Amino acid sequence: MNDLIPVSLRVNGVGYDVAIRPWRTLLEVLRETLAMTGTKRSCGEGQCGACTVLLDGKAVSSCLYLAVEAQGKDIQTIEGPVGGDPALEQIQSSFAAKGAVQCGFCTPGMVMITKDLLSHNPEPNEDEIRDALVGHLCRCTGYVQIVEAIQDAARGMQDAAGEMARKEGA
Amino acid sequence: MSYLKRLPKFEYVSPQSLAEVCALIAGTSNEEVMLLAGGTDAILQMRRRERVPRRVIGLKGVADLEFVREQADGSLAIGAMTTLQTLLAAPVVSQRYDVLRETAAQIGGHELRNVATIGGNIAGALPCADLPPALMTLGARIKLSSQRGDRWVPLEDFFPEFGRTVAEDDELVAEISLPRPTSNSAGAYLKFHDRHSMDMTVVGVSAFVVRDDDGRTFRDLRLAYANGAPTVFRAKRAEAVLRGHALTEDGLEAVAETACAESNPRTSWRANGEYRLELIRVLTKRAIRRAWEKASSQKGTKS
Repeated sequence: MNDLIPVSLRVNGVGYDVAIRPWRTLLEVLRETLAMTGTKRSCGEGQCGACTVLLDGKAVSSCLYLAVEAQGKDIQTIEGPVGGDPALEQIQSSFAAKGAVQCGFCTPGMVMITKDLLSHNPEPNEDEIRDALVGHLCRCTGYVQIVEAIQDAARGMQDAAGEMARKEGA
Repeated sequence: MSYLKRLPKFEYVSPQSLAEVCALIAGTSNEEVMLLAGGTDAILQMRRRERVPRRVIGLKGVADLEFVREQADGSLAIGAMTTLQTLLAAPVVSQRYDVLRETAAQIGGHELRNVATIGGNIAGALPCADLPPALMTLGARIKLSSQRGDRWVPLEDFFPEFGRTVAEDDELVAEISLPRPTSNSAGAYLKFHDRHSMDMTVVGVSAFVVRDDDGRTFRDLRLAYANGAPTVFRAKRAEAVLRGHALTEDGLEAVAETACAESNPRTSWRANGEYRLELIRVLTKRAIRRAWEKASSQKGTKS
């Protein structure tokens, strides 16, 4: 049997036509076929959040998702789109500024769930931030700096939106 | 070290309609063919080699299995491929079936709820599944579809033994139907697990209370349990204890005692049977109280 299936994946706005075996997970195809190693593999069970990517804007564990089932979906990873993504950049600089990154292994997943959170809740309170992080493990920081980074990113995005509105008004 | 393993090889098909799915599973066995809904359990089972199907039928593209629809007769129809996130965010669910919203919100984290489905949570037939107890107390019926036709089964009769459902190999869970709750009613789902979230349920209790018009006595009480026995089940003798009576400490004690007698929880590394019984005793009382209070705060469920 010819077990290679042609799949069109759209990752960070770029289309990739690949032929993949159906038992490969989205995580494996991102890392091994597309060489996008920003998304991390850790627990392999959907417990740790290291492999979180956005599928059509929603956070999913890419280790529990078949790559063939991502056909036609918009996939966003920590690598971000060519030409940049202001939200992603704001979140990443807030993580750096607030010391939310130590070993950095959990960071790609943390950043992606933050992007999901802030896209539908631009001003989350601390409880909402901690709730967003329930599926994400960090062994270094104790989460305090991560929560602060997300609060900082939310403020930064609000300021940027305000700035934009002012410019448009002027 | 199962987490390092890749998935076993399989052939993959992605039907686009329920009719196509029925045609694909006609004449097959569950050994060789696996239906893949959200996959948050099924992919793990394959990774651990607990299941090694020859063929996987992916259901994510079957649009006619994804809906939350209010029916003319007042019931609610939920497609099997509805994700937990869609379910808990649906206005009709929080307005009329709040126990379902409450339950879905307690399962896993965001990544899981964006993918896991109501049909998968039921068809997996795990005793620790959280939605079946809540759905049982709401009086859910399950539609099984196959090429031979459709049939409806009450959820409380759906799990004959551990890990099994009454579905034949050529049938799939297609739809869940919930009757419209009567006024003066409400449900609560309480589960115990070691961590705040992202953990398997040690014991889960769903209590559904209907208060009499005078608000003082139980017209009806329904109780169902996750991990209280080898399957999710309703504790019908315990349910009868308080029917027609007022809420009293002694009454609650008697319900909890009867529920423990009806339960048969297992011992595992997570918790031993005696500990689970103690949880059943405590959570039963707590869940009934909570449902009772919710039923009184929301006088009716008419919208």
